[in-house]
Amino acid sequence: MREALEGSQAIARAVALTKPEVIAAYPITPQTHIVENLSKLVADGKLKAEYVSVESEFSAASVVLGAAAAGARAYTASASQGILLMSEVMYNISGLRVPLVMTIANRAVGGPINIWNDQSDTMAVRDAGWIQLHCISNQEAVDTTIQAFRLAQETGLPVAVNMDGFVLTHTMEVIDMPSQEEVDAFLPPFEFADALDPERPRSMGTLVDPNFFPEVRHSHHAAMGKALARIEEIDKAYKKVVGRASGGLLTVEGDKKAKVGILAMGSVVGTMMAGLEDFKDEVGAARIIKLRSFRPFPAKALRAAVKGLDKLVVIDRAISPGLGGVLGTEVSAVLSTLKNAPKVYNYALGLGGRDIPETMYRDLLTTIEDKKAPRFAVFDADLDKLAPEDR
Amino acid sequence: MTELTRGTWADAGSSLDFKTGSWRSTQRPVHVHSKAPCHATCPAGEDQQAWFAHLQLGHVEEAWRSLVAANPMPGVTGRVCPHPCETACNRTEVDGALAIHNVERWLGDEAVAKGWDYPVAPPADDAPTVAIVGAGPAGLSAAYHCVRLGMKAEIFETLPEAGGLLRMGIPPTRLPRNVLDAELNRVLDLPGITLNLRQRLGRDMTLEDLRERFAAVMLSPGCEMSKPWSVHGAVPPDLHEGLHLLQEFYDHGVLPDAAKGDVIVHGGGNTAMDICRIMMRAGAKSVTLITASGLPGPDTAPDDVINVVPRELEEALEEGLTIIEHATVGRLIMKGSKIKGVEIVSLKKEKGPDGRKRRVEFTGTERVVSVDMVVPCVGEQVDPEAFEGYIDGAYFSPDNPYGRIADRVYALGDARGHRGTVAAAIGDGRIAAEAVAAELAGADDPVADDRPEMSYDGLNTAYYAGSSRVSVAKLPVSERTFEAEIEGGISRAEALAEAQRCLSCGNCLACDNCWTMCPDNAVIKTAELASDGSHYVFDYDYCKGCGLCVQECPTGYIQSVPETS
Repeated sequence: MREALEGSQAIARAVALTKPEVIAAYPITPQTHIVENLSKLVADGKLKAEYVSVESEFSAASVVLGAAAAGARAYTASASQGILLMSEVMYNISGLRVPLVMTIANRAVGGPINIWNDQSDTMAVRDAGWIQLHCISNQEAVDTTIQAFRLAQETGLPVAVNMDGFVLTHTMEVIDMPSQEEVDAFLPPFEFADALDPERPRSMGTLVDPNFFPEVRHSHHAAMGKALARIEEIDKAYKKVVGRASGGLLTVEGDKKAKVGILAMGSVVGTMMAGLEDFKDEVGAARIIKLRSFRPFPAKALRAAVKGLDKLVVIDRAISPGLGGVLGTEVSAVLSTLKNAPKVYNYALGLGGRDIPETMYRDLLTTIEDKKAPRFAVFDADLDKLAPEDR
Repeated sequence: MTELTRGTWADAGSSLDFKTGSWRSTQRPVHVHSKAPCHATCPAGEDQQAWFAHLQLGHVEEAWRSLVAANPMPGVTGRVCPHPCETACNRTEVDGALAIHNVERWLGDEAVAKGWDYPVAPPADDAPTVAIVGAGPAGLSAAYHCVRLGMKAEIFETLPEAGGLLRMGIPPTRLPRNVLDAELNRVLDLPGITLNLRQRLGRDMTLEDLRERFAAVMLSPGCEMSKPWSVHGAVPPDLHEGLHLLQEFYDHGVLPDAAKGDVIVHGGGNTAMDICRIMMRAGAKSVTLITASGLPGPDTAPDDVINVVPRELEEALEEGLTIIEHATVGRLIMKGSKIKGVEIVSLKKEKGPDGRKRRVEFTGTERVVSVDMVVPCVGEQVDPEAFEGYIDGAYFSPDNPYGRIADRVYALGDARGHRGTVAAAIGDGRIAAEAVAAELAGADDPVADDRPEMSYDGLNTAYYAGSSRVSVAKLPVSERTFEAEIEGGISRAEALAEAQRCLSCGNCLACDNCWTMCPDNAVIKTAELASDGSHYVFDYDYCKGCGLCVQECPTGYIQSVPETS
């Protein structure tokens, strides 16, 4: 049924459709009203789940870890500093191969304090061993959230569904919410073969010494690699039931024959698509690569997607100070094996919620026409606001 | 080849393959049952911590039985003892020492009221009999412990009543006579104890007779002879010494007429304090204590403080006693045979020829006061008659802790000098009885308990909730008489609540902290008592020696010791 919903409310409804048994969240900043809406559903008796209001994100993550380990479908959500506080537990969840789903409503990480949207939080836990999917719209976030539960239990890996804070979470959008029947048909009940069971006592979180640790990490990495195919299969399976896919690992949009491309994750992809419509006559149509799966990183699909490109702008919504963009660096690394790899221009945009207007499409393409265009820049930074010695 | 499970889940018990104890390198935790400070300082040898542990469980009779294993007269000591246990109590540092003496007194009274039997068996008919000279606290304790250890005791007492100093030296306001009689008679009624009254050594029998007739002889005659007193050789003809005044007053209820006037008491012990208070109460115009020592205070060195039970001093000051500290009587002013005044002179510290400081008269500080009576209370000593060959000087001076002064002859209590408390006399009686039992059995002397004492620093007081010491009613000064007991009692509920305040210094509380907090499950809880008396055993195969249990043990029962192997 199509209805206008705010992003957070839509995600709450989508999570409820998956019939989670345990939801744990820290209710205060930085939090979205995803969990607020879920708590209302529980309180109103519309969702039969154990809702645990905890005292910190560390505890929220620990509770869902325990719940999933005990065999329950579990969910949590956080953002920004909350993700950093969860980070230790996030490593435990993935390292113990516990399947659960979390929404990261992407926001900047302080300091200085800033509550607005960028993707610094998810980049900070880039190596925590979670599947990380990015959504460009609330519809995609709804669909990806439902898919994520199946992905988690089929891969034995936790899944973080990223959606831009405010830009998506606080924005009304017409959402086609799948029906309960459709979700039930798509998503089997939670099953975790390694769940704790008093009938079969085993211990979880044991010490692993140097004799085994590299093998543990190898198998985790291998599982991530195998998850690439599962992401695509599950997206297809979802389409079969619900009639709509979310873009597998990545999709190629815009002018597929263009020599110039733009690669991005999250809502900025939508901005670029709109910019393309507005400015294609002025600066030409670009190929737009919408990257959905950041982890596992779809190297093969990416190499295929850039075929024929001379230049590729990679938009980063985060920065690794002293290096540059995280996504841009990873894309460059993956493309380095190509014979005719496009020249990569990596620009960080919209850090800390700086607005990214559709004119950015034009500005980006104009900039890279210059041979002296920087390979990395905080593109929309106005250096006049800085003292000369701080530029 | 081992195959890893996904997520490295392990089968139950498989983590036991990691012998984390192999990581331990320098320290290991051990259980150390230290002495609680109360126990370590108790002259009677009571283990207060042990009997408080029974009370914490509400086991009142067991607590009493544990107490009387050392001291058969808790109703008495709970009233008269200066309780060094409370001074030493580690809870002082938290929120006030436990009211040990009040609980002890309640236990003693409770045992009398309920008629609980002492935990002793009647001695065998052919058990050896020990002769005990003197039925004061040392002699009574010795008799009790002889019976407890399977021997018989025959007591010889000069006076018509048993009790010694308890009866002759301690005012009923501190120790009501009915309380004394009740507890004392229960001891004397024990099978195996015979009391012979009006029997004086040297008059009715000799020490050699006793040595011949009995398996061993214990001498606890007390100190009934006042030490000689004079002012530069001058002694008033109508001199009354403090102890004899006290005894006369307890026996006949009268004081000399001169005690109605201005009285100077010269000395500084408990006898001086008692006679001062009695004379004040009997209507003396003024009573002034002149003492070479100082009153307790920040400027008084501990060894310079007047040697009296602190609460007695406190009560005496409440009642209006004037004390002139660091002073002495320099001159007596007589008119004929009557004393009319004294010259008081202050004392100052001066280095003597041996390099040690001593107090000497401070010339120029003399002042004369008009008085009607001077009462010397400068201490008492053993009457050496009948002990010739056994005593040298004022007291018996055994060279061993058991009080043995000759083969199968022991000296106990005040007669050993510098004992000063009923509790010490009771302790002497126990230790001597144990030594006699060993000697008669042909065994070595008993080994003293030399366990270390648990200090406050060894505790983790974070685990104790705050609670304040029970407050005890005291008779207002205006209502005090010659008889009425000044300090009030406590109720059963108060005694049990006070017991809950015991920190159990150095003893396992069974709090489970070590068991709960050990990160390696290296503390195993046992249903049966382990060999060290606790319910926990360290599994050193898994103990990393991290010291968490040591840190978190509230009582200091777990200590870290260096690895030896």
